[in-house]
Amino acid sequence: MLLRDALAPTNLAMIYLGGVVAVAMRCSRWVSVTTSFLSVAAFDFFCVPPYLTFAVSDYQYVFTFAGMLVVALVISTQTARLKELAVHAAVREARTEALYRLSSKLAGETRVFEAARSAATLAEEVFGARVVIFLPEDGRLSFRRRTSDLLPVPPSEESIAQWVFDHGHKAGLRTDAHSEATALYIPLRGARETFGVLAVLPDIVSNVENRIFAPEQQQLLEVFAGQTALAIERTLSQRSAEETRVNMQTEQMRSSLLSAMSHDLRTPLASITGAASTLRSQGDRLPLETKQELLESISDEAERLGRLVGNLLDMTRFESGGVELRRDLYPLEEIVGTVLQRMEPQLEGRAVSTDLAENLPMVFVDDVLLGQVLWNLLENAAKYTPPGSPLELAAFKQDDAVIIEVRDRGPGVPPGEEERIFEKFYRGQSGKASGKVRGAGLGLPICRAIVQAHHGTIQALAREGDGAIFRVSLPVESRMPSK
Amino acid sequence: MKPLILLIEDDPQIRRFLRAALDAEGYRLQESITAEEGLAQASSRQPDLILLDLGLPDRDGLEVIQRVREWGKIPILVLSARGQEKDKIAALDLGADDYVAKPFAVGELLARIRAALRRSSTRADGAGSLVHFGPVEVDLEKRVVRVDTKEVHLTPNEYKLLQVLIQHAGKVITQRQLLNEVWGPQHTEQAQYLRVYIAQLRRKLERNPARPKYLQTEPGVGYRLVPEE
Repeated sequence: MLLRDALAPTNLAMIYLGGVVAVAMRCSRWVSVTTSFLSVAAFDFFCVPPYLTFAVSDYQYVFTFAGMLVVALVISTQTARLKELAVHAAVREARTEALYRLSSKLAGETRVFEAARSAATLAEEVFGARVVIFLPEDGRLSFRRRTSDLLPVPPSEESIAQWVFDHGHKAGLRTDAHSEATALYIPLRGARETFGVLAVLPDIVSNVENRIFAPEQQQLLEVFAGQTALAIERTLSQRSAEETRVNMQTEQMRSSLLSAMSHDLRTPLASITGAASTLRSQGDRLPLETKQELLESISDEAERLGRLVGNLLDMTRFESGGVELRRDLYPLEEIVGTVLQRMEPQLEGRAVSTDLAENLPMVFVDDVLLGQVLWNLLENAAKYTPPGSPLELAAFKQDDAVIIEVRDRGPGVPPGEEERIFEKFYRGQSGKASGKVRGAGLGLPICRAIVQAHHGTIQALAREGDGAIFRVSLPVESRMPSK
Repeated sequence: MKPLILLIEDDPQIRRFLRAALDAEGYRLQESITAEEGLAQASSRQPDLILLDLGLPDRDGLEVIQRVREWGKIPILVLSARGQEKDKIAALDLGADDYVAKPFAVGELLARIRAALRRSSTRADGAGSLVHFGPVEVDLEKRVVRVDTKEVHLTPNEYKLLQVLIQHAGKVITQRQLLNEVWGPQHTEQAQYLRVYIAQLRRKLERNPARPKYLQTEPGVGYRLVPEE
């Protein structure tokens, strides 16, 4: 009442209007309209003489009341509309965000079931309800193929879900069909077919039933289901594209294999046939020395052919998954020793210095196959480096791996070819140029296949100074023999 | 009289060059194309050695080994395809003496034949008590092992392992056979014991344990003690 003395009545009216604005911002339209009327009444009651009655002594005030009411009503309705717009924007935003999260989550999924599971989990979060997706099995929808561990709906409702799947219309709770059901069933309809059924169960305890059945939530739910269906559709088509790509690669590999084979197999065969037929038809006229040479070339070329066929068979066995690892714990020393001892003829007198660390743990490997890796690496090293240049074989432990290195002092692997030399039928540029290196380009691919089967890695590195290092890294298995 | 070799092999080309090679070495040769025929000839002619191909048309070569071992100790040398370690082990465990993987050089085959024939002829007279290979001398009677005339101490298991290898010198012994003879039949699956002991033996006996000359590994199959020829 002190204010009444301090301020002019028109200014007091402003304070009441301020109150109307405050109420309009917080409360609904009807509350703020009521507040508008009440504030005019209160202004009259408290601030307009005679005080504490609704009577008005000065008729001028009637205009003040009318103006005040109009302003208060405009403010309250406008504020309320703004608020509603903001709420709508927030709903739209939440919806966009939910769909964005759905699509980014599903983008990474390459398997149908995983995509469905991600979608169901996200839907539970967004809608605050229990959501489970059922997928078909052999063309029929099955409650067994579902994204949740427990079946949250009665098994008897499988027929409703099947109906939804067949017809592509939603059914169940709060719909025209089967409204007695415990859940709402929405089809996952893609562009061409239906991929499954999404079931939503209102969570009655936390009273969100009303929320998911609000029209905009229903709409969002359907958009959500549609997006999920599209993601599944994309996953399926990606898979078939991937299959096509693999088939094409296999086809390409087969043709490059054929061309490499026909050349690499025919060359030694030609020498053998030539030498043998020469010996047969002209043997009695040839000097002894020439006969000896021809015989040697027959046996050398036969050996080369044998290695080639062996490599091809190994590679084929690896690719068809026909290699069964017979792994056990071996001291690396033993495998290295056996290889070096057996390789002596191939190494043609070249010394291989070995440097095996003292603390090496036993390795859990297939001894025959790891031996073959070392054999191929050493044979390559001997083949691609000048005669007499030193070869080294070293092994040491590094973190949780045993590292085996074959090092040479040859020309090294040309930069940029470090990866390609492990590809089938790839031959180093240097080998192509000199023409002296022969083979089907299968040694290193076989090494890689074997090492990878042991969960290890193999790489070619440039050596400080000159030369190359082929490094095999095998994880140390914790299985040690109990003594 | 020259030793008689029974060759059981169905491939005519392989029979042809083996005939030439064995003939040139002065062996007498009996050939058969099927397992059935081979078994009949093995018992009727009592050859000194059998060369057996595992892939025969009528029966599995492994069965031939089994049947021959039911009545005799004729050395059996198996001709097997490359990379089939399972077959090699099965053949050796059934009592075959050795194997040569196809394709093989004739020189290698002849060396294996000579070694097998030598073993079977010395088996009867119970080998001398002193065995030599490289720098190693083993006195089987006194159980003393010397390397370069210096005595080397072996644990009882190491000695037993060496003894078994010496008994079968020159021949491949599968891991299972070695484990059975040294540790007993209940330990035949514990191959890692064996590898640890072989590594220790190599450290004690070989000049360069990383490149063993005498105690050789047959990858995926077993071990062989190679005395110098």
